[in-house]
Amino acid sequence: MQHLSGLDLFFWVASLFGHLALLAVLWLRKRAFEFPLFTSLITMYVGRTIVLFFTLRYGSRDAYFYTYWSLAFVDVLLQLAVVYEIASHVFRPTGTWAQDLRWSFLWLLAISAVIGLGLTWLAVPPTQNLRQAIAIRGNFFSSVLMSELFIGITAMSVTMGLPWRTHVARIAQGLGTYSIIGIGIEGLHSYFGLTQGMQGYTLLSHVRIAAYLVCVIYWIVTLAQEAPESRGMPVQMQRQLRLLQRRVAFELANIKGPRGGSDH
Amino acid sequence: MITRVNLFVVVVPLFLALLVSLAIYYLLRMRKASSATWSDILNRLIEVDRDRIAFVALDLVNETGRQREVGDSEIDPSNLWDLIGGIDGLEVLEKNCDVFIELACYVQRWHPEALVVAEQLRLNAREIKWHVARLKGAQETGNLRSSYPLYAQRAVATYYIMTRHLLALYEQGNLVELAQLQAVI
Repeated sequence: MQHLSGLDLFFWVASLFGHLALLAVLWLRKRAFEFPLFTSLITMYVGRTIVLFFTLRYGSRDAYFYTYWSLAFVDVLLQLAVVYEIASHVFRPTGTWAQDLRWSFLWLLAISAVIGLGLTWLAVPPTQNLRQAIAIRGNFFSSVLMSELFIGITAMSVTMGLPWRTHVARIAQGLGTYSIIGIGIEGLHSYFGLTQGMQGYTLLSHVRIAAYLVCVIYWIVTLAQEAPESRGMPVQMQRQLRLLQRRVAFELANIKGPRGGSDH
Repeated sequence: MITRVNLFVVVVPLFLALLVSLAIYYLLRMRKASSATWSDILNRLIEVDRDRIAFVALDLVNETGRQREVGDSEIDPSNLWDLIGGIDGLEVLEKNCDVFIELACYVQRWHPEALVVAEQLRLNAREIKWHVARLKGAQETGNLRSSYPLYAQRAVATYYIMTRHLLALYEQGNLVELAQLQAVI
């Protein structure tokens, strides 16, 4: 059984209630239907907090390690799913992927993964065993990957001229900011490691948890608020716009064709 | 001796600084775009010679946007450079395309019902920028003169059709911004 300090207990309780409050906001404000994958991530966090707490209090170190890393794997998969969900909201303005996106998103994924793996390879945390090294490097890789993806999506959307709806932006900003802070914290974890004892490691972990709790509060507040209203258009105009769009598509098809030569 | 730890200590902070800089840069651009008013965006449009644009465009397509038959063209390809204004002329169109992309973004943000048309306008503008980028690439490799007639006239024709449709969009919606837009494009 692991002894937990007052601060540790506070973080466990704050995490649990913070996530429960966020889930309440997501369901009561009906954001869960718009962001099912983000909602699943938060639901998983609630379950994870409960499972890990009791495993830490009453289980062995081995049990905690394997439970933590099994759930961490699920965590990363769900975070990637949330990245996809956000990209879907940004790059599918009409319900289909923007034509000028092409392979850019896949390149972003590939390059982010390569850079993440490269930086993680450079990390040589001074630890007492392999388990600790895996823990530190795994967290570092996850933070680097998520940061790159969020900044990449932001950059692509600005370059392509695609706007973000309010709540999509808030989720992305929260996760992106937390991931960037994570790089700093896990970078320090990687440098100082655990050979000097747990004090420094624990302090940095507490800073990370505190940053995450701020992020949860940010989501609770911003996702509870309504997005700015759009300016409505009369039904007649909507009909005319649809006709206009069909005309534009037809005319563009004409202009793309060659003048008796091969196309670009 | 350079070890992995030494590299880590140098590379990771630099990488972090780069990420933070990029995040701030793009977030500021996003904020600027989202807070821009219609007038702000429109004021960035550079005036172009509309008659010349129409002349070049309508040599390739007719008023309905249908491409003309080969042989119907009256402009000698060698004259296109002077008519359009060379690479500089195309760069003006490219800058205006950035503004049109912002206009499309503005419409998408405030009139989600116009999403489909706004998206089409955005794609048109991006296509023109693509043509101009190809020409700039050709300029660097010394192939500009041969590439210019092919890509430049298409870029101008796409620009012309796009501006006509943008005006139609605002005219049909009886949007007050139409008068401002008409004056500039």
